[in-house]
Amino acid sequence: MLSDKTIEEVEALKRRYPDPRGAILPSLYIAQREFGWLSPEAFEAVSIVLGVPKAHLRGVASFYAMYRHKPVGRHLIQLCTNVSCMIFGAEDLVSLLKNRYGAEVGGTSPDGRFSLVIMECIGACEAAPAMLVNEDFHNNLTENNITEILEKYK
Amino acid sequence: MIELTINGKKVSTEPKSTILQTALKNDIYIPHLCYDKRLAPYGGCRLCLVEVEGQKKLLASCSTPTEEGMVVHTETPKLHKARGTVLELLLVHHPLDCPVCDKAGECDLQDMAYKYGKTESRFVRQKKSSPSDIRSPLIEMSSNRCVLCGKCVRICGEYQGCGALGMIGRGFPTTIKPAFGDVLECDYCGQCIDACPTGALLGKPYKFQARPWLLEEKETICPFCSCGCTLTVGVREGKILRSRGSEDKGINKGDLCGRGRFGFDYIYNKDRLKTPLIRLNGELVPASWQEALLYTAENLKSVINTYGPSSVGAIGSHRCTTEDNYMLAKFMRNVVGTNNIDSSARFGHAIVQNAFYMGFGVKAPPIRLDSPLGKELILVIESDPTVTHPMLGLNLMGAAKNGSRLVVIDSKETKLTRLGSKWMKLRPGTSHALLNGIIKVLFEESLFDRESVKNITNLRAIEDLTKGLSLDNVSDITGIPKGDIAGLARDIAKAKSRLISMTLGVSDNTKGLDTVLSAINLLIVLGEGPETLQIPAEFSNTYGLYKMDVRPDTGFEADKGVVEMLYKPGGLKAVYIVGEDPVVNFPNASKITETLRALEFLVVQDIALTQTAGLAHVVLPASSWAEKDGTFINAEGLCQTIRKLVDAPGQAMPDWQIIRNLSLAMGKDIGAGRLEDVQREVKDLLGKESYCFNGLLLNPLPYARLKAADGDYPLVLVIRDLLQHSGSMSTRSRSLSLVVADSFLEINDADASKYGISDNSYVKLTSPNGSIYLKSKVTGLVPQGVVFTPTHFPHAGVNLLTNERTSGTTVPDMVRVEPAGARPER
Repeated sequence: MLSDKTIEEVEALKRRYPDPRGAILPSLYIAQREFGWLSPEAFEAVSIVLGVPKAHLRGVASFYAMYRHKPVGRHLIQLCTNVSCMIFGAEDLVSLLKNRYGAEVGGTSPDGRFSLVIMECIGACEAAPAMLVNEDFHNNLTENNITEILEKYK
Repeated sequence: MIELTINGKKVSTEPKSTILQTALKNDIYIPHLCYDKRLAPYGGCRLCLVEVEGQKKLLASCSTPTEEGMVVHTETPKLHKARGTVLELLLVHHPLDCPVCDKAGECDLQDMAYKYGKTESRFVRQKKSSPSDIRSPLIEMSSNRCVLCGKCVRICGEYQGCGALGMIGRGFPTTIKPAFGDVLECDYCGQCIDACPTGALLGKPYKFQARPWLLEEKETICPFCSCGCTLTVGVREGKILRSRGSEDKGINKGDLCGRGRFGFDYIYNKDRLKTPLIRLNGELVPASWQEALLYTAENLKSVINTYGPSSVGAIGSHRCTTEDNYMLAKFMRNVVGTNNIDSSARFGHAIVQNAFYMGFGVKAPPIRLDSPLGKELILVIESDPTVTHPMLGLNLMGAAKNGSRLVVIDSKETKLTRLGSKWMKLRPGTSHALLNGIIKVLFEESLFDRESVKNITNLRAIEDLTKGLSLDNVSDITGIPKGDIAGLARDIAKAKSRLISMTLGVSDNTKGLDTVLSAINLLIVLGEGPETLQIPAEFSNTYGLYKMDVRPDTGFEADKGVVEMLYKPGGLKAVYIVGEDPVVNFPNASKITETLRALEFLVVQDIALTQTAGLAHVVLPASSWAEKDGTFINAEGLCQTIRKLVDAPGQAMPDWQIIRNLSLAMGKDIGAGRLEDVQREVKDLLGKESYCFNGLLLNPLPYARLKAADGDYPLVLVIRDLLQHSGSMSTRSRSLSLVVADSFLEINDADASKYGISDNSYVKLTSPNGSIYLKSKVTGLVPQGVVFTPTHFPHAGVNLLTNERTSGTTVPDMVRVEPAGARPER
């Protein structure tokens, strides 16, 4: 279930639109934050607060690729492997993440700490390779500094 | 009005209407797959493209508003080409399995491909090939055939207020399914089946039964609730195979609920009676009509000769036609010579009739199923018309969607509490107190025009009554905060148009004469007339049987109604029950059984061997609704024809013929050689009804505080109908039983843990009248201190616990629950 504070947050969003369906996308993000991913319980909770059927919510969510449709680790690493990042060794970083943390592409490390997603260009070619960890941006990655950076995410 | 030209024809139309609406209204057909007039324009299928002069692009006519002077073309080579391409693209993925598709022959996609499609496709791509979802009891989903027009999703969500389906995914793999691909659990109204333009959604009972073009389709009226929807019934080789709604036909305009669509198969239940039965040595044994009628006549005559005509009673049926009921009334009054005749309406519609006469001074409540539309404020009291009267329910939801303020006063969460503007959680059975509280606020704050109602009798008495009330007290009784009551009163007073809606049926145990009268008081004070209180009759012909005088109250105090017939052992000596199963449908079943067993002679005439029939000395087999001609009168008073669609099984006969033959056997000819003779007399009787207005009268009724919950029976038992059932006859329908086949007890989580009850386990439910066993359903949807159950199911015996209401006061049925391990044999 959503916490009272979160329910209030969704209620506030709902009030901003003449039709509660207008608040679906931001509300799902809030639920995702709470539940870690868009689980059936997350849809259920948003459905109750917004008064929009679950099937409709799931229909909207399933249209977008950037919602988390399956459980993810505590931290989500989104690493770019497009041309510039690739030239500067992004593929090595992928193997490093796999070997050191056990985080496969599209998967989660066995300890549930990291999930790894390969993303398309994030516009940081001048300082490639680059990645997002949750909502934090990191560039100029090397095999050395990436482990240092990831130490901050327990 | 806007003038425009379509295909060279000058047409005029309302402002804000679309090109497609205008064209269809003027008999110009534009192909379309995703448009449905009940829904907002969608513009998804791109088949309704039209050319508009002066516009470079082709426009989707379903979502383009008309403009003055527009010149529209709907059939040009360019459009044919565009539509052909759209269809070509749709058919890339759509499997060409028309030979095994039940929709073939009445499929929009097929028809359009026939008209505009190309013989060969230029595109190659894999066909969709996922297996059909056959898990749901009544609706099969074949996503391969789906063209993603979204009509089912929108009908379900926007129109039915259910929202069970969504368009899940994106692009090619998008599928119509429930949120997580789980089993479709919904209202099972089947509206999506009728809406689907392809064979993606199909009714399972009709699956592989017949090609649509081999069906003979006939129109008749639904046998369940009093809305009186028109069904288009498909018959093949003497068997009804399906029923559907036809666009624009009947009061329902093509909409149907699950009962009308799937429930007709109750007539094919194996317990249908095929021959008359006579009790010999304690057993019911088959007999010929001649034997049965002579035996019945002899016994009735002997009872009449020994104890007099007033020792015989009869019960009519809301399931039988107006003609049948007329004949029964005529038989009792002319052949037996008594007014002892009554029906299930005694516990429902008769109360409403009585209250309207007492308060508004009118004889028949003026019911309009579309009355909610356009009202500023609608108050629904302890009822869920979306379940009991689905068409009224649709109109309530439609009104709420179009801006009416819908306030629902109910103890239980329902579709209306979710979709309405406000839900006031009320303790069950206390709406009478709430209404009195509202009237008090009206007086206290002078919220009504006193001058215009000052001459109405008892205005002062009502004021005195409410003066004695305190809002704190009302809030205490009803459980609704004081501020909410006052706020509601102000809203009601302020509204420019208002409506109160509720339902009152035979199994209802939270509302009664007091509730109806206090609602009438409220409306009279506000200067409103009888049309602002909508309490429709319960079943298909409840209104009709009442009109046919199947009731005792024609002026003689000595006349006996159901209370004397069924609840006073030894009161009567012989009873003739036509098309009714009081042991299952009426409250306090054990008392009824005791009374019926004490009779010297009991005749039951019905379509199936009901529990009541099991007690009879003679059982007469009758034709069901689909096996005879006649009329049903719906809640609005509309006389509608039902038609003989199939033959009755065995020797079953229409009720009116049985009654006529029985009179002949008793030595009296009451006419009625043919149905037309009966109908002529019925028409005369209906014609006699003149408008009656006796003046307004306020009926001050203090709220007698309910017996407080005591230690022995701490919970209030509330009977609530199910959407899939109507009375008990629908439980004989195989299709409807696939959805709900057994009774259950809804109990709040907190109460459940208090009494040690786990979900989906058997519980023993005890009232002062007895005990029964039900499966529990632990839920947060019901309040604490109240348990809910439906009565429809004969084997559950819920009505063993309830009490008959003989006075006008609503007395709730109190019960206790305890865990019961396994369900003992009964």
